[in-house]
Amino acid sequence: MTTQLPPGLSLEKVDEKIMTLNVGPQHPGSGHMRLIIQVDGDYIVACDPDPGYVHRGEEKMAEYRNYILNIPHLERPIIHDSCNILYPYCLAVEEILGLEVPERAKYMRVIASELNRCVYIQYWLGIYGIFLGHSTMFMWPMGDRELLIDLLEKMTGARVTHSYFIPGGVRNDLPANFEDVCLRQVNYFEKRIKEYADIFYDNPILIHRTEKTGILSREDAIRLGTTGSVLRASGVDFDVRKKEPYDVYEELDVHSNVLKEGDSLARSKIPWLDMLESCNIIRQALEKMPKSGSIRKKLKPNPRGGDMSVYKRVESGRGSLGCYIVSKNKPEPYRLKLSVPSFRNLIALPYLLKGEKLGNMPAVYWSLNYWPVEADR
Amino acid sequence: MGTASGIIKALNSGVKHLAIKRFTLRYPEQKLKFVGDGYQYDPTTGVGIAGYKGRHMLFHDKCTGCQLCAIACEGIAEAIAMVKVPEEWKHNKKAIMPQIDYGKCVFCGLCVDACPFYALYMTNDYELSSFTKEGLIYTPAQLQVKPDVQQDAEIKIDDRGASHG
Repeated sequence: MTTQLPPGLSLEKVDEKIMTLNVGPQHPGSGHMRLIIQVDGDYIVACDPDPGYVHRGEEKMAEYRNYILNIPHLERPIIHDSCNILYPYCLAVEEILGLEVPERAKYMRVIASELNRCVYIQYWLGIYGIFLGHSTMFMWPMGDRELLIDLLEKMTGARVTHSYFIPGGVRNDLPANFEDVCLRQVNYFEKRIKEYADIFYDNPILIHRTEKTGILSREDAIRLGTTGSVLRASGVDFDVRKKEPYDVYEELDVHSNVLKEGDSLARSKIPWLDMLESCNIIRQALEKMPKSGSIRKKLKPNPRGGDMSVYKRVESGRGSLGCYIVSKNKPEPYRLKLSVPSFRNLIALPYLLKGEKLGNMPAVYWSLNYWPVEADR
Repeated sequence: MGTASGIIKALNSGVKHLAIKRFTLRYPEQKLKFVGDGYQYDPTTGVGIAGYKGRHMLFHDKCTGCQLCAIACEGIAEAIAMVKVPEEWKHNKKAIMPQIDYGKCVFCGLCVDACPFYALYMTNDYELSSFTKEGLIYTPAQLQVKPDVQQDAEIKIDDRGASHG
């Protein structure tokens, strides 16, 4: 037999010392992705990520549906952060169709997307805890996430996959008394996540495990094109909400968290600090939001866009998420491209894992804020 | 901070939680309360009314059989099919009404947005499981029934932590 197997399918020794290992795609830790790792004893020599197991063809599907019917399927790549993946799409379609969003709807979008960012990060943090064998850190974020899921459920009518944003505004108004309930639950949520410091982030066991593993230098982070929490953990102050404010973010006081270390501990700390910042933004938005008014521009059925192309990006729970739409005088987009942060952060993984111990692989891998389904689209 | 004091601090933080309230919804006994009677849509203003997106409710006296909900669903889930109904209404000459397959429905609510006659709403009913695939298909007669839901648990926050009532 001389058939050549694709790389990674041969489970043999590469040479005298080095062996190939497959992590995934069925491994509960890797998500729907395979890591082809070459190990020399306990040390990783090379790592080749192999994504693509959950490719759904979202971009092609979008070419056959009009601008409204694209909404439910476009939020499927990341159901925990569904408002943030629809945000750039809605901003781009609004520019194509020439829609002006009412002021109240802009604030409601900010509140929904910040709540959604916290929901995503709590889920990510829970899995990071269980990856490192810290089962309390799995239970606490999953429980506290319920506070925000409850708010989003009251606001949008669904626990995940809200389908809430629509080109021209949001789909429904806030229920009565929502502001008070939101303020109360967000304040309690903030108090709770501050308690994570004692049990998780200041815990010497976690610090020994994650400190100085997988260090990404500032130059490498820029050169590899990483984004979001990975970039900010390496000391680059880049936050789309601050650098290119969209909707009403320029009226809100947004502080971006930057750490210099660039190791797994810093990368896992940045999303947690982001959650505290999100609570601040939600409070500001609730205060500044107009108490009544229009929330949606009414659309014609099958609206047609002009002959143009638009690129918009927002800061999602993982980093900058962009949407590029080419419109050619049709009710459907001619081409839709999602530029997702997960895929861009994955490129750093082979560089980070080189020379690490195999046992540190989960700590480094999940600290990249990677979501396999979103990366494959 | 030393290793020992750090571990003691972490343990202390965990032990403190023995005293606070349990934040667990005991599901079949307790059910979470939603706002309103479900997601609705007002076609004159073009704005929805906040509510949970659960099983649909069809008003037979308002549905005209215009198929707009089925057309909206075509690009999303293909869950809605128009079927013949035995009743005869003046405003529904063709006597067709939507039948919804909850094995396919994604509960986005865009069919409700598409209805111009206030005939299709969503309700708070989310317990739709069935032993057969056919059991998930709701005929117009089943969709007409207003669900009997008893949901009363709410998140309460006090000094001893949050709990579900």
